[in-house]
Parts: sequence; C-alpha cells; structure tokens
Amino acid sequence: MPRPEERFVTFSIDGREVSAPAGVMLADGAKYGDIEIPVFCYEPKLGAPVGACRMCLVEVEGIPKLQTACSTPVKDGMVVHTQTQRVREAQNSVVEFLLVNHPLDCPVCDKGGECPLQDITFGWGRGISRMVEPKRHFRKPVELSPLIAIDRERCILCYRCVRFSQEVSEDYQLILNERGASSFVGTFDGHPYVAPFSGNIVELCPVGALTSRAYRFRARPWDIEGSGSVCTHCPAQCNVEFTVRDERVLRVLARDNHGVDDGWLCDKGRFAYQAIHSDERITEPLVRNPDSGELEPATWEYALDVAASAIEQAGSSVAAIAGGTTTNEEGFLLQRLVRAVGSADLDSRAGLPPVPAETQRALAAPALQATIPDIEFAHTVLLLGTDPIDDVASLDLRIRKGVRRNGVKLAVATSRPSALDANSRLWLRYAPGAEHAFVAALAAAVGGADGVEALCEKADADPKAVAALAQLLQDGGEDVVIVWGQRIGAAPLPSLLNLAAALRLGERAGAGLIEVPVGGNARGLREVGVQSNAGPGLKDAKAGKSAHEIAQQAADGKLTTLYLLHADPVRDYADRRLWERALQGAEAVVAHATLLSDALRATATVVFPAESYAEKEGTIVNLDGRVQRLRPAIGRPGSVRAEWQVLADVAKRAGHDPQVLTGPIVTQQVVAAVPFYGGLTLEEIGGKGVRWQERDAASAAPEAPAGPFEAGEPLAAPRPNGALRLGTYRSIWAAPEVEVSPALKFLTAKQQAEISPVDADRIGVDNGGRVTVSAGDVSVLASVFVRGNVPAGTVFLAEATAEQSATELLGGEPGLVEVRPA
Amino acid sequence: MAWTPGDDVIAVQRAPEPGGAGGAYRAFGETLRGLKTTFARMLERPVVYQYPEQKLPVYPRFRGRHKLHRFSDTGLEKCVGCSLCAAACPADCIRVVAAENTPEHRVSAGERYAAVYEINLSRCIFCGYCEVACPFDAITMGHDYEMSDYNRQDLIFTKEMLLAEPLERTPLRTEDE
Repeated sequence: MPRPEERFVTFSIDGREVSAPAGVMLADGAKYGDIEIPVFCYEPKLGAPVGACRMCLVEVEGIPKLQTACSTPVKDGMVVHTQTQRVREAQNSVVEFLLVNHPLDCPVCDKGGECPLQDITFGWGRGISRMVEPKRHFRKPVELSPLIAIDRERCILCYRCVRFSQEVSEDYQLILNERGASSFVGTFDGHPYVAPFSGNIVELCPVGALTSRAYRFRARPWDIEGSGSVCTHCPAQCNVEFTVRDERVLRVLARDNHGVDDGWLCDKGRFAYQAIHSDERITEPLVRNPDSGELEPATWEYALDVAASAIEQAGSSVAAIAGGTTTNEEGFLLQRLVRAVGSADLDSRAGLPPVPAETQRALAAPALQATIPDIEFAHTVLLLGTDPIDDVASLDLRIRKGVRRNGVKLAVATSRPSALDANSRLWLRYAPGAEHAFVAALAAAVGGADGVEALCEKADADPKAVAALAQLLQDGGEDVVIVWGQRIGAAPLPSLLNLAAALRLGERAGAGLIEVPVGGNARGLREVGVQSNAGPGLKDAKAGKSAHEIAQQAADGKLTTLYLLHADPVRDYADRRLWERALQGAEAVVAHATLLSDALRATATVVFPAESYAEKEGTIVNLDGRVQRLRPAIGRPGSVRAEWQVLADVAKRAGHDPQVLTGPIVTQQVVAAVPFYGGLTLEEIGGKGVRWQERDAASAAPEAPAGPFEAGEPLAAPRPNGALRLGTYRSIWAAPEVEVSPALKFLTAKQQAEISPVDADRIGVDNGGRVTVSAGDVSVLASVFVRGNVPAGTVFLAEATAEQSATELLGGEPGLVEVRPA
Repeated sequence: MAWTPGDDVIAVQRAPEPGGAGGAYRAFGETLRGLKTTFARMLERPVVYQYPEQKLPVYPRFRGRHKLHRFSDTGLEKCVGCSLCAAACPADCIRVVAAENTPEHRVSAGERYAAVYEINLSRCIFCGYCEVACPFDAITMGHDYEMSDYNRQDLIFTKEMLLAEPLERTPLRTEDE
C-alpha cells in the first residue's frame, strides 16, 4: 500500500481553530491546538484504538452523547468541547472509577513520579474518593516472566499490553483472563511471558502494574537523568534513552524514531545494558608478561608502547579486523594506520567472503536503497536469506506492522524457517549454501530467462514456488522492497542486482533493497574503508586479504601482528579451529575488548579495555544508511580511555600521527574522506540521525556500474544422502553481552539442532534428545528441536553460542554432516 | 449644557486637621510608647546561657537532627525507601537507594526498604520538608541541634545512625517555659 497522502482538515476545539492531518484521532488532533485530552488505553503505536478506558470523553456538537476522542477521527468543521461541565463530570467520574480498585501504592511503586495515572488523577480527578469499600486483592508482586513483574491490583485493564502481544509483536501470549471485576492480565495457562519483545509492555503500561524486574526499586524518577543515544547490539541501531543514576545505566527506554525503530526495543536492547556494569569487564590495559606468559595489568604507556612496536615491527604484515560495534571514527583510524604501514589486510565482514568493490558500489547506489519506513508502505516485501528476529530484531515488528495494518504482501525466501512465515503470502525454502542458485533462479524467473528449472534443481527449491514468487514480485505492485541478509554471501549479489534491475527497483522512491548486515555498525565500517578491497567512500584501494585469508596466513605463521578491534573471530567467525590456530600463530595480537574471551586470555599480547556503547562518542550507520550519533551517557570505568584516543596514540607511537586531538576531529576526518558524507556535521546528525542518501552530498556516491551483471555459474547444493545439509544461523541470544547480563542469562542461546520430523524419525530422536552433529573429525553436541517446516534433509545449528558453536563445523566447503544420537 | 453634579457628589470623611495636644501626641506618642519598653529592659539583668554547660531548652516543634522510626510492635522500619523526602529536599542532602524485601530478609513493612539512607547534615537546612513529604511518618525532625564535628565526612548520617535512639542532649521546654 503506498504511503497515504497527508491532507489537513480544520476543526474547532474549545473555540480554537485547529488544523490537523485528516484521519488522525481527536486525541492526537487536539495536540495541534495545544489542547491535552487525557488518555490511558490510547497509544497510536498499537494500531486501531479500542476506547477501553473512557478517559478521553469529549463533547462534539451535533452528537448527543459524549464521544471518546481516541476513536473519533477529526473531520472538517467539527466543533469539540473539552472543558464543559459535562466533560469534566465525566472525566472526574472515570478517574474515580479507575481508582476504585487501584491501591495507594505510590510510595513503593516503581512508576510513582512518572505515572500517567498519578498525573491524570492530579489534573482531571475529583481530588477525593467517596469509596470506603474494600478494594479487590491479588497476590502481588507476581513474576510474569523473569524480566517482568506484574501487580494485578494496580492494573486498570487498559488492554495496552494485551494489544501489544496480540497485534504488534504477535506472540499471542498475553490475554485478559476472567470477566468483569475479576479480569486480570496474564498468559492463558500461567506460563511465563517470554518473547523477544516482551520488555515493551513495561514501557507501555500507564500504571505500575507491569514493572521491569531488572529496574525494580533501583531509582525514582527524580533520582535519575535520561541520556539519549543509540543501541549498537544489532544493525537496526534503535534509538534508546539510558536512565542514569550515579554514573550507572539502570534502564534502557525506547526513543521514538519512525525512521529507525518505530518506538519499540527488543529485550536484548532493553536489558543487555547490564553487561556495561559487569564485574567481568576489563577496566585497565593488560599486557602479556614475557616471563610468566600471563596477561597482567599494565600502565597505559607501556601497553601503548608494546602495541605500537608490534605494529612498527610487523610493517606490512599487520592485519586488522573490526567487529560490528566499532564506530566509524575508530574504524577510520584503524584503516588509516594499517594502510599507513603498508598493509591492506583489513576486514569487518564477520568472516563472510569479500564483495568486489564494483558490486558494492552498485548495491550502495542511493536510488536502489529502500528506507526502513518503506517496508511498511511497500506493495510487496521479500525477505531473502535473513530472519529479522535474529539478525535485526526491530525490523521484525516493522514488517508485521506493514502486513497487518497496510496489507503489505510479504514473501519469505530463506533456507531456515522464519518467524515471519505465518505472516507471509508465500514462503519457500532453498538449500542452505545454495543462495546463489536460488537468487539466480529468481532473477531468471522474473527476467523471463530460461534455465529456471535447472537453477531451482541446484538450489533444491520448488520451481512452482519460485514461479509464484516471481509472479508476486512482478504483479503485486510496483513498490517492492527486498530485505536481504549479508549472510547470503558474495556470489548471489550480481544476480540480486539483476533481479533489482528487472523489477526496476531503482526507479521508484518507495522500492529498493535493504541489506541486513552482520554486526552493529557493519555498514558504516565498510563505508569508511575497513575492508580489504575498498577504501573510505568505497573507493578503489590496494587489494588486501579478507578475514579468512588473514586467518590462514596467521595460522601459517606468515602474519606477525593481528589487530582485533572489538572482534572475536574465534567465537563469531566460521571455522573456529582455524582462528584458534591463527591467534596462536600470530606473533602479536592486539585487541580492544570489554570482556576477556578465552581466546584472548590465551593468546593476546595487549588487550586494551574497550568502552561500552553507553560511554562511546562517535557516529555509526544503520542498515538503511542513516548516520547516527553515539553520545556518552556515563563516565568510563576504571582507567578506560576513549578508543579513538587509544588508536590515535598507537598510530602516533608507530610513527603515523593521525593529527587528532578530540573525537569530533576524527569525525571531521571521516566526513572529509568519505565523499557521500560531504559536509555532514554532528549538529546535522542530531538526535534522530540523517540518511546520507537523502542529502545533497549523496550525488558524490561512487558511480554505480551499469548492469546486467555477470552472475556466474552457481554450485549445486549437496544432496542429502542419509547425511544432512548443514545450515547455520546466529541467534539474537548468542552473544557475550547476554551471557553476562544477569537478567538475560536465562535466555542465553544453547546449541540445538533443528531438524524436520522426517529426519527425527529416521535418526530416532525426539524433542530434547541429544545428538552429535559431525563433519569429518569435528563434531558438535546439540539438543534436538523438531521443527515442522524445516525441510527434510537439513539440520540447522546456532553459530556463536558459548559452547558447541556451529562455527566449528564450518571449516571447509559446505558439505553434509552426520547426525547421530549422542 | 452645563453639568451639575447634584447627587453624584460623594462626601469624603477626613480626620481632623493636626494641631494642639492631639497633634503633639500623634507626633511623639508612639515613639514614647516604644521607648517605655527600652527603658524598662535597662533595669533587667542580661540573659546569658552558659552554653554548653547550660543548654537552651527547645520547643516541642523545634526542627533539629532527623530521626528514623521503627514500628514499636514489629520492630520493622517504617521507611519504605520511596525517596519522596529526597524529592522534597530543597538542599538535595538526602540519598536513598531502595531494595526489595524478601521473606527471609524483611526490613520494612512494604515491598521495598531503604538499603541506603543518608542525610548529609552539612547541607541540610532543617526546613522539615522531608518530614512533611514522608507518607509513613518514618522520618521526623528531632530536637538535637548539637551536630558539629571535626570532619565533614562524619556529618553524613547513615540509616543506622538515624535509626538509633539519639542521646538526650537537648532539654525540652516545659509547658510553662
């Protein structure tokens, strides 16, 4: 559905002429005339209003009864009164009614001081209560989930949380049990409400009925300060507000930005802040003592000297890898240093194969970029090789919103069953590792080329489904948004570009491609030149080695110094064993890290303490090209220093002074080096960020080569012959910050093998059973999860789990794995 | 046409013009009345309390050093750590960090209790707003006004110090004083 056109209507409210967009509800329209109408249940983010609380009653001339402002759209010439005696009576009575059963818990309630019920009682209430009867009682407080406490006595039954669960996150868990005065919110059978977005109901609750257990009794609103910044846990980069008390982050709230997050946060973004104050955090530089062989705390001077001399001595055999949470500034300084010493071995692609610079430029063409809000208003959205819930959580809600409210036709084409299958018009599966064949088949089907059957055969996809998908993309409307995951690799990208050209995505504003990269700031790092085949601004640069080649070199002892900026390749990248050998093989390993991983403890020469995202200053780029600003919310613990400063100091000592004195100077250097950021200032980025494609400087984006692109000959997916195909995914909960956050610890991803019922029967295992999955001499232990729509002949394992990670098996060519009961 | 005021005229009542004995009294009478008090005090002995040996008794509503209270029957703290005192405090001298009561470790009667309750008495202006704000009568202003110390650090009173029964150092004024 295309974006609705904005048309203004004029109506009168309390004698004022107000003009507001047509179709908005009176409760919102009144704000255009600076008139506040009190509401409890109304929240535009939740979709259609329900009019449950009756707080927003107003008088509309021509209608005999009072109307709910939350469900009455504004109309031209409407005359509304909010201050008459009748309205006041009604408001007083509603407040009194809501307070009949509301306990006087304010002094012990976490909501006290920021509670809409308090505010509205004060502003629109009668002031006294006539009720002397006993109030209703529930057991309290009860755990609704390990993250949320529910106090049913305080609940005013506004339905907000239930609507969120039913209509926004669509996990369908929260309901209202019982009827009338006995109603209470809960899950049907009392099981804990565990869902990826459950934390949002805490923020939605207009009273203190739903409170965060992590924040429980930590502070009152007058003890705290809010500090706006951006979450860097995934490429969605939702805008957040940190609640800070005594230099500690105590809570994370959503900061509404329609262009980014739509006001929702996932539970990882909401609760993983606890990792910032983990006891395990490194707060001082560590240097390996050559005598004892142990990592020991050291002074900054010594640590910087050791790191600088390691780089100086290695010269052109330095390699650097940046992880997803690195800011543009840090990435920029790192690539400058590495390129200055004569090396080009840089990578930030999470171990995925490098993409030729030509292809990158074609994909980065501003015309071909869709925005995140485009997903909501497109005719058709195709999810290609990514499951938002794991890769970029808040996009999941955006897609659901588009499908539910705007009738977006969703198509899902993934190897692993996706959480959005149920919402899609059409879903189809292809063999893991056969992305190239599948995208080529789809491009051929859309372009009307032949050979579709053969390509489908190679991808093990159903040709009829591919044809139906091509049909949907072509005839479903012009605005097609393709959300594709970086995890599909480099080979399918030319075909993807051909597909985009065939669908003419570059020609319409609301259509285009959105890449879901791996890692919080992966897009920004690529744009500032942290990659082996392109410099800042995706310009051509001296070619270097990609992460996998770096690992092989280091393992062979040919690479002397490895610089790991927030990257943990042993845990995160494919082929764990190779990386372990690489870290041991390198003469020096310099790392920036917040937590000391086992690999670093065993092999690092210098470990600099890294800042957490609440302490950082800098810019990052989200998945649709929005440059956003990280602002420090709290002071750095211990002797942690700003990382741009550490990188600059190392460079200076290695004889390549980058001439930076402050963080903003680095930002200026980044802007000067990347043509399409031209003239961008921190002020312009502001609190909401700015998409570089929408600025004038976007015309400086590198020339995109014209298609069609040489698609290459895709490899066929291996045929399962008793052994199964291996597919991997990275769970949202497989991350060190989840493991060290006490609140989230219960969600930590454990290895599980997702197999189809057919295979489970054949192997003779059931849900929860243990299996070993082995490729060659390497094997991984997993518990079985029999999942209905996993295609037969495939097993899916999680990557980057703390133990038994699937990356162990991802050594050589994609092949088949043996699954046996353990 | 000329306008005649007629009934619109309002007569203003004025005091008599000063002059004579009345005038003299009005000029000096009040001054002399004040001087009467002055001269009368000249005959009195000076009022000096030999502090600190002799202490000035305070009124019952005197606002001295704060006290925290417990319930007399259960011994639980009345304070639930709601921080309203800290919110009301104009000098920002109260710091409260709350925690949750558990069945094994019950400190107060409510769901929460004050794990940390500190008053920085070097900042306190003894306005008594904390006492007014407290919804549970957990904090009251006591009568102790002798709080000088050698170290500013020692003027930060912790919860234990505020809960302890203060030394009876200050005499209270009796009914007729």
